[in-house]
Amino acid sequence: MLLDFALPAHDRKLIPEGRLSGPMPWVIAIMLFLTLLVAAGGLTLAEAARQGGQDLARQVTVQIIESDPAQRAAQRAAVTRTLRKLDSIAEVKPVPDAQVRALLEPWLGTGVMDADVPVPALVDVRFASEPTGETLTRLQSTLRSVAPDIRVDSHSSWMAPFFELMRALLWLAAAVFLLLLVATSAVVILAVRSTLNTHRETIEIMHLMGGTDVQAARLFQRRVALDALLGGIVGFIVAAVVIIAVGGRFAAVEAGLLSGAHFPNHGWAILALIPLAVMALAMLMARMTVISALKRML
Amino acid sequence: MNSLCPVLPFVPFIALMQSVVEFDNVGLRYGAGVETLTDLSFTLYPGSFHFLTGTSGAGKTSLLKLLYLAHRPSRGAIRMFGHDAITLPRNRLPGFRRRIGVVFQDFRLVPHLSAFDNIALPLRIAGVQEKDLRGPVAEMLAWIGLTERAEARPATLSGGEQQRVAIARAVIGRPEMLVADEPTGNVDPEMARRLLQLFAALNKLGTTVVVATHDIHLLQEIEGAQMMRLDKGRLSDPTGSLRHPPRPLVLDN
Repeated sequence: MLLDFALPAHDRKLIPEGRLSGPMPWVIAIMLFLTLLVAAGGLTLAEAARQGGQDLARQVTVQIIESDPAQRAAQRAAVTRTLRKLDSIAEVKPVPDAQVRALLEPWLGTGVMDADVPVPALVDVRFASEPTGETLTRLQSTLRSVAPDIRVDSHSSWMAPFFELMRALLWLAAAVFLLLLVATSAVVILAVRSTLNTHRETIEIMHLMGGTDVQAARLFQRRVALDALLGGIVGFIVAAVVIIAVGGRFAAVEAGLLSGAHFPNHGWAILALIPLAVMALAMLMARMTVISALKRML
Repeated sequence: MNSLCPVLPFVPFIALMQSVVEFDNVGLRYGAGVETLTDLSFTLYPGSFHFLTGTSGAGKTSLLKLLYLAHRPSRGAIRMFGHDAITLPRNRLPGFRRRIGVVFQDFRLVPHLSAFDNIALPLRIAGVQEKDLRGPVAEMLAWIGLTERAEARPATLSGGEQQRVAIARAVIGRPEMLVADEPTGNVDPEMARRLLQLFAALNKLGTTVVVATHDIHLLQEIEGAQMMRLDKGRLSDPTGSLRHPPRPLVLDN
């Protein structure tokens, strides 16, 4: 079908091609710009979910809930030592008390003394691979031998609602992407019908001289393909500028949840394929529209 | 009948030839209206030349539309080039249409194509290579006296020039049947005579020609031409050559 794009020069003259003078390339450019933004958003979300999910699934926090600060510090040291001996654990990072207080500051305010509100000691732990529930239970019982009042919090459990939201957003992005493709197809169908009406006389003459439906469809396919190509180039360039600019802002964000949110490099290859796919889709829609309309002629 | 004399000895031979067109009790009705064409039965043979006459509204253009496969009849049977044209699948119509040249009453030139491209259109549709069509199209332009206007668009051509381009377009592919609707209506008598000579030359090469015209004097211009007369959608047969099956003229004599 894409070979139909290459028509002899004299055949091209049968249905005049307007290049960027008509509305069609611009409408396709806008539709494609939106489609690419949605696709880029979806790819970024997917990458963030993949990376964040991988990291969070391997991370747990050990809370040492001991009201006596001295004992709490001793237990933290013991817990840290025990953890570092385990082969399944890749990294152990005791969270400094100051950082814990800073985390709680929005809720407890500044200047809260340890005596007023005992703050638990935290140890961040990263497993070499995603731990099972059984591994966590075993870890908890091992640590309880050195610090009786501890709790092991798996990050993936408390982050689950966030990742469900991300998955929902991904589905939403996919649905919007498909809707935009449907809308682009509808635009192509309307444009082809309008062009077909404008050039009905030429098509009828071609028919009466023995022109086939496929010959007529090729003329429209080529015209639509050119419009889609020009629109695609414009839409892609504008979308790329926006994605790079927004991506730069995202890269500057250090917040934990968003730190993994960046547009993946392979995403550019996918985005580059979208205008080509839209062009192929537009050609297919043009062919189907013309052939179905011509079937009503004898 | 004098004009038919030259063909009389060949009639038994003609009866054995495969017909180009056979109409059998054909009727045509547009929508729910009355029949535009009624009970048409005739046979056209290869190399025959027919003038189709009749008053305005008699159904000449409708009959021509059936001949160039723009419409299917409401009833009756049509055979073209040995095939049933009624049941012919739609995808086989282009192949049959390429065997028919048509001169439309309103020319129907493609407005954004030059005279050259309009004349070349049937050849290009048939897939003739560009290098193979330039010569014949230039020759045709010379024949109709429009070499200088080869690149002119139809809107810049006079009515007569447009008609000549339309005729050139119809005959460029050497069709097996040529159907022309008032082809000499807009040209001067000299050009009309030249165009008829072109039709006659094609006819001598075996093309069946059907020319719809108001001008019955044209009949005298073509030796052996026969007349079909339509009156309120019914065909009369003044020359007796259209009977289906054809009347055995030799035996009658």
